[in-house]
Amino acid sequence: MTSAILQLDAVTKTYLQGKVEVHAVDGLSLEIARGEFAALCGPSGSGKTTVLNLIGGLDVPTKGRVLLEGRDLSSLGRSALSSLRRDRIGFVFQAYNLIPVMTAYENAEFVLKLQGVPERECRERVMTILEEVGLQGLEQRRPDEMSGGQQQRVAIARAIVTHPAIVLADEPTANVDSATAEALLDLMEQLNQVEKVTFLFSTHDPRVMKRARRLIRLRDGQLEKDEVRV
Amino acid sequence: MNVLKFAWRNLWRQKRRTLITAFSIGFGVLLAVTFTGTGDYGYSNMINAGARMGLGHITIEPAGYNQAPSLDKRLKDTGALRQAVREMPGIDAVIVRIVGQAMFASARKTVSGMFLGIDPAQESPEQNLFLRSIIEGDIFSGTSGSAVVIGQKMAKKLDLRLGKKLIYTTTDAEGEIVSEIARVSAIFETGVDEIDGGMVLLPIDRLRSTLRYGPDEATLIAVTIHDERHALRLKKAIAERVGHPKREILSWQETQPDLAGIIALDRGGNYISQVLVGLLIAAGIFNTLLMSVMERKKEFGVMLAVGLSPANLFKLVVVESLWLALIGLLAGVIMTTPWYAYLYTIGIDLSGAMGDNYSAGGVLIDPIFKIKLYKESVAGILIGVFTLTILSGLYPAWRVARLPPVESLKTA
Repeated sequence: MTSAILQLDAVTKTYLQGKVEVHAVDGLSLEIARGEFAALCGPSGSGKTTVLNLIGGLDVPTKGRVLLEGRDLSSLGRSALSSLRRDRIGFVFQAYNLIPVMTAYENAEFVLKLQGVPERECRERVMTILEEVGLQGLEQRRPDEMSGGQQQRVAIARAIVTHPAIVLADEPTANVDSATAEALLDLMEQLNQVEKVTFLFSTHDPRVMKRARRLIRLRDGQLEKDEVRV
Repeated sequence: MNVLKFAWRNLWRQKRRTLITAFSIGFGVLLAVTFTGTGDYGYSNMINAGARMGLGHITIEPAGYNQAPSLDKRLKDTGALRQAVREMPGIDAVIVRIVGQAMFASARKTVSGMFLGIDPAQESPEQNLFLRSIIEGDIFSGTSGSAVVIGQKMAKKLDLRLGKKLIYTTTDAEGEIVSEIARVSAIFETGVDEIDGGMVLLPIDRLRSTLRYGPDEATLIAVTIHDERHALRLKKAIAERVGHPKREILSWQETQPDLAGIIALDRGGNYISQVLVGLLIAAGIFNTLLMSVMERKKEFGVMLAVGLSPANLFKLVVVESLWLALIGLLAGVIMTTPWYAYLYTIGIDLSGAMGDNYSAGGVLIDPIFKIKLYKESVAGILIGVFTLTILSGLYPAWRVARLPPVESLKTA
């Protein structure tokens, strides 16, 4: 393992369901190194999505610390967390979650604009990334004019165009057919190998688990097994 | 994509809803124009009609005359005063008049009333409502003859016709009772019963001689101005120029407190109506904007997740309400223009509903319902509606900016 870009240090997340406390994540400690292609897996309710939300700064742990590139996320305010997500984290969601009024180009460009990247550089980077994800010629299409696979490619382009420290992908293949899922995984694997983008998936899709070079199995919010494959 | 373009596109995701909201804002503009236009036209008309019934928008009169009018209180050097005020900017006309009370008798009957001593050379139908309202005969040409102009109701009460004799009795400057005979040269009808039944116009020089006034003396100088809204400012300016301890410079609000009271009361009611209508429309806009942002919670959650700051999300929703305000104002202009043009030029005849007496506070009011907007009112309406729409968007924007991203992402 190389240098860790992500550390979870005895992280616990507790929710209240009515008056009952539910431990979605229970004392989880974990490290992810730069360039990993790892997957969190486990049955529904095992805490996969909660872990991704905590890593992405979308949620705060009840106990413990999440450190991204050495920064403790719980020490950051709303605005600093926004900046961190914008600059250092890429998100890929299960339901694509593209902005419906924007074209593929504008969706991919969205975060670069938030970063204040100059127009010309934006254009170069977006066109390159859309070509890399196989969407050349579809730049002006809106989400409702694209297939599920194409939309997920746009979402991947949006996630990696900013060169984030880590891409968090929550069930990225759940809503697409097998062939599209394989194609998307090919794409993400290639980005990981060529661009050295770190990927952390939350999944129970066997295709993703098969390709992941590290499988982190969760059960009841706890680490069940951490398996590194060659 | 810049925020203006993004917000614009968001607004048109629900075309029908946006158009309905825009038209409700437009309807608000139409109501505001109607309410304000009625006030601007009606108040201006009443004030100008009141001013042209004798006292002007601003009155220069002897000190104490307003509290206790009496013919022994009189202004001197009226010619010089008139000249000094006429040269001032914003002044339309400066007219020297004598006003008093008298008994008017014919061979059959006697009635009490007011007289207005005028110089026809200084007067014009634009400045003098009675001259404009003459229905029979002609105004006296000189100022020293024995002609008299009376109201139609008085003519009826005293059974007088053109050329008939009228005797008026009053007290002179020394407090002595004096009488004069005059012949009816014209009859006017304003539509205000108390005026038509109790006002008489007399030649001013003849009256001076009857009242034992000096050649340059009168009870008041009536000043009419181009824009009645500037009465208080011009009153101050006139006081600075010709002010004197023996004179009082009064605005129409002081000389006609009944009229000022009616206008203030009506204006207050008008404001309350406008505020209520504004609140109703704002509630509609607020509801639309809140619904529009709440149904996009997940999308906003995604934006926050990928790095949009809460402040920028707040800005986005405010810009959406800004666009909505602009579209609403455009709809308002489209809806209101023909309505305003019709009411401004033609109006609605309400004489059937008003009966025979078109007066309020002793002042003639126009039985044709018309509207007119001052430039300031137009700006006020546009700014008011625009601000109200933006304000309606603030809470939804604030609420959406405070959404925890993780909660928003869970939204179905």
